[in-house]
Amino acid sequence: MKFFFPDSHDYVDPTFDFETEKNNEHRVIQRDDKYAHELFSKPVYDGILVSKAIVDGVSGVKGRYSVAQRQRFFREGIYRFFRLPKTYLTMGDCGAFSYAKEHEPIYTVDEVNEFYSNAGFTYGISLDHIIFDFETAKKKVEGDQLEECLRRQEITLEKAEEFLIKNKGLNFGAYGVAHGWNPESYADSVIKLQKMGYKRIAIGGMIPLKSPEILKVLKCVNDIRKPDTQFHLLGINRLEHIAEFANYGVTSFDSTSPLMKGLKDDKKNYHTSTEDYTAIGVPQVDANNNMRKLVASGAINQNEAFKLEKACLESLIGFDSGKVAKEDVLSILTEYEKLYNPKASRVELMDKVLTDKPWKKCPCDICTDIGIHVVLKRAAARNRRRGFHNLYIAYEKLQLELKKINQVK
Amino acid sequence: MNTISLPALKIEQGPGRALFSFAIKGKDIQSIASISRVKRHEDELVGYQRPEVSNHINEIKKYLESENPMIPNALVIAFNSTVKFVPSEHNKNFGTLVIPIVEDEENKPGLIVDGQQRAAAMREADIDAFQMPVSAFITDDSQEQREQFILVNSTKPLPKGLIYELLPYTETKLASSLQKRRFPARILDELNHRKNSPFYQLIQTATNPAGVVKDNSILKLIEASLNEGALYFYRDAATGTGDIDAMIDVLCNYWSAVSKTFPEAWNKKPKESRLMHGAGMTALGHLMDTIFERYYVDMGQDTVTEENFQSDLERIKPYCKWTSGFWDFGRVEDLADDVKPKVKFDRQAENVKWNELQNVSKDLQKLTNYILARYREEVWN
Ligand SMILES: [Zn+2]
Repeated sequence: MKFFFPDSHDYVDPTFDFETEKNNEHRVIQRDDKYAHELFSKPVYDGILVSKAIVDGVSGVKGRYSVAQRQRFFREGIYRFFRLPKTYLTMGDCGAFSYAKEHEPIYTVDEVNEFYSNAGFTYGISLDHIIFDFETAKKKVEGDQLEECLRRQEITLEKAEEFLIKNKGLNFGAYGVAHGWNPESYADSVIKLQKMGYKRIAIGGMIPLKSPEILKVLKCVNDIRKPDTQFHLLGINRLEHIAEFANYGVTSFDSTSPLMKGLKDDKKNYHTSTEDYTAIGVPQVDANNNMRKLVASGAINQNEAFKLEKACLESLIGFDSGKVAKEDVLSILTEYEKLYNPKASRVELMDKVLTDKPWKKCPCDICTDIGIHVVLKRAAARNRRRGFHNLYIAYEKLQLELKKINQVK
Repeated sequence: MNTISLPALKIEQGPGRALFSFAIKGKDIQSIASISRVKRHEDELVGYQRPEVSNHINEIKKYLESENPMIPNALVIAFNSTVKFVPSEHNKNFGTLVIPIVEDEENKPGLIVDGQQRAAAMREADIDAFQMPVSAFITDDSQEQREQFILVNSTKPLPKGLIYELLPYTETKLASSLQKRRFPARILDELNHRKNSPFYQLIQTATNPAGVVKDNSILKLIEASLNEGALYFYRDAATGTGDIDAMIDVLCNYWSAVSKTFPEAWNKKPKESRLMHGAGMTALGHLMDTIFERYYVDMGQDTVTEENFQSDLERIKPYCKWTSGFWDFGRVEDLADDVKPKVKFDRQAENVKWNELQNVSKDLQKLTNYILARYREEVWN
């Protein structure tokens, strides 16, 4: 079971100074930065997935890449651009979510082929169009809704056929995409893709589904799966079901979820193998949006906020080195919190993470390197590193699950 | 009450309009003046200053802590009438300004009308004796303070082009956005003034208004290449500068080759030639990086000669419509017979007239993508 990490410019400045909070002023973004596979001494994923929409942008709108970065991406190819050892796999997709609202996919099969083959991907996923609806016992898909589902499935299958024909002579393995609105329609797509000659099939559009629904779909498509057909789950990360996934012919999946939880989740943003913690918020007075508004409107005194922000950081760092007592840290943290978030107090959650000090127990390179900063919720330098740590934990869990499966066999 | 007395010069600008000019230790500013932050007080507007900007303050702080800083422009402070000017016996325009010291932040005798970021930087910086010039006036009228604040803060900023042209001739520490541009600006300056440069006096700057290519187009392509392309190989990561002669060589070799490949389009006004326009410069700038890496990285050559560049440029020449005709952006590559599509093609033809390309990022991208796709097809495959 291979885990792919979908990249969207997830790298950090290795020279970031956590004391002065400064980047190296001559740093060239991306080139001088480090990806997760460069920061950890052992892998935290088996491969990366890069979508055309991220690199190219969507219909005239700029992508995440600058024009110059994009051109270098094509010149160097994906392995050199990402400084990715050849032992890693790479997968390209179209980024169907970014154009899901359009009537038709915004790329042509030729453009997609050109993208995969110029960039030198290991695998490329055919051009698809997302289906949003899913049928439940209570909610039938019918009428116009069904019509639209069928139309999108049709487009996806047509593009898959064209994609496979034109894949001849190109150097990457082709994945067809199966979309559906219930287990049977997913199975239908899989049958047709197998008939076209696909041995690799990506199953899409399941991100919003609950785990039992996903398993129902997988059970159904597994029934008609040819023995040598391999499934990839797009955007799915439910590690507790890995064994079942494997039984249903799933050989790979991708997900940004561990990283995104580190960046965005309000409560469970620092993961460990046994427990999920809340990172400690120390918003930047002049960079945090909420804070900026409060200051600009005169609702809070900027000087006071600056003083508290600084005091929070200093006492947290002091706490990590054993010089400041937990109670003192908590009292200054709550005083600052009153300023930016007077309604809700997170003192218990903060107490919990300060009591357990999970970063001290984590052997990963990030936690070893930056200590308590990994649990501070404060700007990309810390938040993205915390996301990377979560990737490490997720990959460790996956390896453990896989070991269990092998022992049963 | 404690007071601080400072020698001051009184400047009368009109009847009842007196300015006071003096110097004060940077660290002492906060003891005589506070900042009147804009806010509403029971629906009434009080104060006028925007919040401090840390980035800006840090820039100034770094500068203040650098080797030999100088800040010639004075802070502007509005004092209330508790501040008195005592003229000297000999000349009524020289004297002493007597300023009461008040601990309470709300009731300081002075309010900073201009220079709050500088004042904050001095508060934070590790400096002791730095003297700061101050211009002050005395009024109890908050409206007058607000007016002065608007007046000093609505002056027109310097034109960017002039700043860029002055940049290479500075050495001191500058704001990092300018600091980053100094080295690219120096390369541009060399390109524009070296006699053997293909761009000799062709780049339009404040002192060379007759130039045909906009300075900004060239700066952007130099920066892109320094970060992502050919010039990066000669860059010194520690200082942000690099081997400038090697860089100029690459640029001269390439753009000489461009001028020879497209003689009909070179050295024309952008109106007559899209090559000398932002679109052409950007697209061909990226092509330079691509061709350079083919010879330098893939084939391991030490240098890429003008002839190397020219032979590759010739291959894309047929697709280029700098001065007339239509760019065929919808062009579909002919596939080999065995992979010819059985399924119908869905890409539409898209022809763009040569002079319809605009200097907007959408058009720049379109042209860049097109030229590089043709190049990869013709030369890589
Ligand atoms: Zn860790």
